[in-house]
Amino acid sequence: MYFCLNCVVIMVACSVGEQHFLKGGIAQELRTDGRKRLTYRHTYVETGVIPQANGSARVRIGGTDVIASVKAEIGRPSSLQPDKGKVAVFIDCSPTAEPTFGGRGGEELSSELALALQKCLLGGKSGAGAGINLSSLLIKEGRVCWDLYIDGLVISSDGNLLDALSAAIKAALTNTALPKVQVSAEVADDEQPEIDISDEEYQQFGTSSVPIIVTLTKVGEHYIVDATEEEESQMSSAVSISVNRAGHICGLTKRGGSGLDQSVILDMISVAKHVSETLMNKLDSKISKIHKQLVDSIVYGSLFKVEIKHNKLHEKIVISFGSRD
Amino acid sequence: MEYVNPEGLRLDGRRFNEMRQIVAEVGVVSKADGSAVFEMGNTKVIAAVYGPREIQNKSQQKNGHALVLCEYSMAHFSTGDRRRQKNDRRSTELSLVIRQTMEACILTELLPHSQIDIFLQVLQADGGTRSACINAATLALADAGIPMRDLAVSCSAGYLNSTPLLDLNYVEDSAGGADVTVGILPKLDKVTLLQMDAKLPMETFETVFALASEGCKAIAERVREVLQENTKQLEYRRAA
Repeated sequence: MYFCLNCVVIMVACSVGEQHFLKGGIAQELRTDGRKRLTYRHTYVETGVIPQANGSARVRIGGTDVIASVKAEIGRPSSLQPDKGKVAVFIDCSPTAEPTFGGRGGEELSSELALALQKCLLGGKSGAGAGINLSSLLIKEGRVCWDLYIDGLVISSDGNLLDALSAAIKAALTNTALPKVQVSAEVADDEQPEIDISDEEYQQFGTSSVPIIVTLTKVGEHYIVDATEEEESQMSSAVSISVNRAGHICGLTKRGGSGLDQSVILDMISVAKHVSETLMNKLDSKISKIHKQLVDSIVYGSLFKVEIKHNKLHEKIVISFGSRD
Repeated sequence: MEYVNPEGLRLDGRRFNEMRQIVAEVGVVSKADGSAVFEMGNTKVIAAVYGPREIQNKSQQKNGHALVLCEYSMAHFSTGDRRRQKNDRRSTELSLVIRQTMEACILTELLPHSQIDIFLQVLQADGGTRSACINAATLALADAGIPMRDLAVSCSAGYLNSTPLLDLNYVEDSAGGADVTVGILPKLDKVTLLQMDAKLPMETFETVFALASEGCKAIAERVREVLQENTKQLEYRRAA
């Protein structure tokens, strides 16, 4: 995994006084918004936001707002790895987040983020250390498999994009339900077998080994978690560490021009492991709370499709019933 | 295929003159000067306005008027199939059309030497994205405090199974019948956008056009309500 600092820095004008205030606050464990160095901003998770996708989630960390969607299509496994399905990650930085993302401006950042997330989820070239079990996407060896397309969209950016995107992708994968597929009996080698995609039975996607990313940003002498855009503009270097539930490091990247001492990096890794545990617990509990609410309120689950929307402006829950099709 | 059954109900249970459910909210993108999300049924669009700010490209400067730029983009997951090129011809055409509509309603002569950027992001597309974008842009411009002549609102109508239908969704739109999109300035009672594809006899066109205009007026009411509610909230927060 490599990262180029130039495309990630978004210009935030900071006067000398503001810079001193930022650095001084971080040194004294009191950041500009009152947080401690290792505290995350208020995180809001919503799943199932894109009805036509197989799974989706929206994550808001402070002012950063991202949506991730998972779409599954039937495809053919590659000849080099006939026993595995395929996963591709695409990120789009919407110009609503930053005017400079308009036209082709956001392409560099989008491809950097997509590459980092792809490496974090899929491990090395041979598939070793992958967070997603590609063999579970296989339907018929060498012939039929699931192609998962994970799309991320950055709607609003206030720093810490990688963390938000990885959390959204994990939540979207937890929300993903792949329909059960029946493959017809043996056919000739060069013919495509007939597939019957079930409308009724679904299998939930297993995400216990999907990692999330924790970014530690070094500003001055100390490092902070969940940097805002202002804080990121003052960073000397940042390390993004991808950790899974078991506490294993699935990926690491350092960006920024300034060098870091070895002991500092090792310390950052242990801090990241500790922080990721709390973050993952928070994420998992929010997702399971949403699922429980849905399950409790689906009375005629097999007859009607229930859609629940929490309208924040008018503080009410809108439940709409539709006929199942 | 039957788009309107003998009892007068459409595929999603609406009658010919019923619009889909509208959900609108202002101030969703904290960093933008103004932003809004507008939903018409399953079509969901976010608009963000950055401006008025300094002109980035001096060569595009207009004499004595503000420069209005608009960009329309669809998310990869917005349509049923994933294929969505970023700069395809449809996006370019829609960006131009929406820019012209909004430019007609912004008082650009009050903000010379400045630039107003309107960015539209489609999250879900189910027919009527053009109209949803214009409505979202109006809300976002109002949220940004940009002076406007009136609230530009838009709605579409079509003609299937010999019935004029208001607010087509994707299935009805791809049926091959006519699709008329109308954008109006309700208080001034002026038309700023009129587009149609396929063909219609003149009298039928007038009926469909009138139906779309009625739809626009209803949306204008809703947009006004949302803005007034937002102002009330701002007032509460300011307190005594």
